[in-house]
Amino acid sequence: MISLYLAERTWLHGVPAGWKLLALALISLAVTPFDSLPLMAGLVAATLALYASLGRAAFAQVALLRPMWPLFAILIALHWWNGDILLGLVVSLRIVAMILIANAVTMTTRMDAMMDVIEPALRPLGWFGIPPRSVALAVAMMIRFVPLLFALWEALNESWRARTGKRGGWRLLAPFCIQTLRLSHHTAEALAARGGVFRGERR
Amino acid sequence: MKDRTLVQIALYAAIIAVLGLLPRFDIPLAGGVPITAQSMGIMLAGVMLGAWRGALAVTLFLFVVALGAPLLAGGRGGLGVFFGPSVGFLLGYPVAAFAAGLIMQRFRNQPVLPVALIAAVIGGIVVLYPLGIIGMSTLGSLSPLDAAKACLIFIPGDTIKAVLVALVAQTVARGYPEALISRGA
Amino acid sequence: MPNASLISLDRVTLRRGGRVVLDGISLTFTEPRIGLIGNNGSGKSSLVRLLNGLLAADEGRVVVHGLDAREKAAELPRKVGFIFQNPDHQIIFPTVVEEIAFSLEQAGRTRREAAGEAKAALARFDRESWADRPVHALSEGEKQLLCIIAVLVMEPAVIVLDEPFSSLDLPTRRRLERLIAGLPQQVLMIAHELDAFDLYDRVVWLHEGRVRMDGPPVEVVSAYRDMVEAEAGG
Repeated sequence: MISLYLAERTWLHGVPAGWKLLALALISLAVTPFDSLPLMAGLVAATLALYASLGRAAFAQVALLRPMWPLFAILIALHWWNGDILLGLVVSLRIVAMILIANAVTMTTRMDAMMDVIEPALRPLGWFGIPPRSVALAVAMMIRFVPLLFALWEALNESWRARTGKRGGWRLLAPFCIQTLRLSHHTAEALAARGGVFRGERR
Repeated sequence: MKDRTLVQIALYAAIIAVLGLLPRFDIPLAGGVPITAQSMGIMLAGVMLGAWRGALAVTLFLFVVALGAPLLAGGRGGLGVFFGPSVGFLLGYPVAAFAAGLIMQRFRNQPVLPVALIAAVIGGIVVLYPLGIIGMSTLGSLSPLDAAKACLIFIPGDTIKAVLVALVAQTVARGYPEALISRGA
Repeated sequence: MPNASLISLDRVTLRRGGRVVLDGISLTFTEPRIGLIGNNGSGKSSLVRLLNGLLAADEGRVVVHGLDAREKAAELPRKVGFIFQNPDHQIIFPTVVEEIAFSLEQAGRTRREAAGEAKAALARFDRESWADRPVHALSEGEKQLLCIIAVLVMEPAVIVLDEPFSSLDLPTRRRLERLIAGLPQQVLMIAHELDAFDLYDRVVWLHEGRVRMDGPPVEVVSAYRDMVEAEAGG
């Protein structure tokens, strides 16, 4: 599957995932109480410097912010309306910086490394009868299902177009739900055939 | 919990992802305004799976997005989206699915279409928007009223989606009642 | 001590949704290659599901290589490997190596051991290069092979195949048949491709939940063909 992960290694790839997540949490806590424009402008500048240090491919990812411009425009407009455009700018800069810093973690951390960091936190699920590995299994199954469901949607769309000449759009949703449920029956059976995850509950 | 439940949760998480990545649907009712189907996926998860499974499916979807998969509508994803102004909506999704599912289960003996419509509206709008607005007012330092103003433009679209979800639920109930898990025994 | 290389069904009845699917069936399988034929709804799929504990008999007793299907249901998946009709319904993981490693973890290996052994298993089939490949990039035949490798690593004593050829072209099917022929395990296969049983030891024809005929492939298959042709002609 496509991923936001940068294949080209940077220095930030070498930092353990746990440290990166911890740093992200600390930065987000630290910047929340301050409503100073120079401080937030400095934070954004520092973030852009971080991206620059990660190379050209990383810097191009700043463009991920583009779809958010209308939102920032509305945010600033609302503050301007209330007579405090400065606050609007401060808030927008803080959000931009935090999104970019968080994305920097995502870009330089493999999904499985992220999963490994989180796994210990899932252990308490065992107390509720949910095996912690079921989470990893659900993640894997979901990622496996996505291309499968795409293909299914395409097949439904194709047969719809063969009969009507138009795209099916939302009308395909009902048959889609029905067919995917059939898929889940079969997959659940195949999972059980290999011993399942929830032992002692097989019939 | 059983293997089948786990598969259903993973399946609906994937459905939400696929709906977000499909080309936009053209909706005749909305004067041809294209809409993304992802928030329909949230409502569908609750309406089709019921409260707990629906909420877990949505949570799984968000978890995989947080791990770094660009599965939000428009190919967004990663940790960054959880620091944006719409974080309240994202974190509200599982609650919305839960509420929709709860209504489906409570009124399982009533006709599907009206119940599913009410479930989708309550989950996807009445429950979701306050959470989204709280998030936006916190992150954007806005008064809740101002934040609400910024969100209101999305309500017509989400109402149409709720209607479509109800139509889908009714069609499924006629064609393959078993697929409406929220109504099962 | 029950015979350890034997599958036995003793007066087994199975009902699903108020319908009798299997009606007091008694069968003993000792041969290495056994085929199951019959119309859709004849009970073939249900019968093989009893062997893996996917279904439980309402009456009667099922014993698989010394394991009572009722008492030892949790141990059956390691004893009986299952290959389904559509590999896309069976594969759980997005990459090849994860899919195989899952089976090994199910068989009690740690995650690290499982990953290593999964790669070794791919090497045994000359498919090392598949390890990190996304499953959806494999062809239908390759996916079916992956399903088989993922089952074989659990070292089952019996392999059940439920219409494994339905989505395969002829060359791929032939390759798969050759692979199955070489397996050391006892094989039970359901298929509608009747010539697939030519070299089998025995074929059982199920009809409406009962055994209609049981014997050497040539005789059973031709009797089944005759019935189908007679019904289609009449």
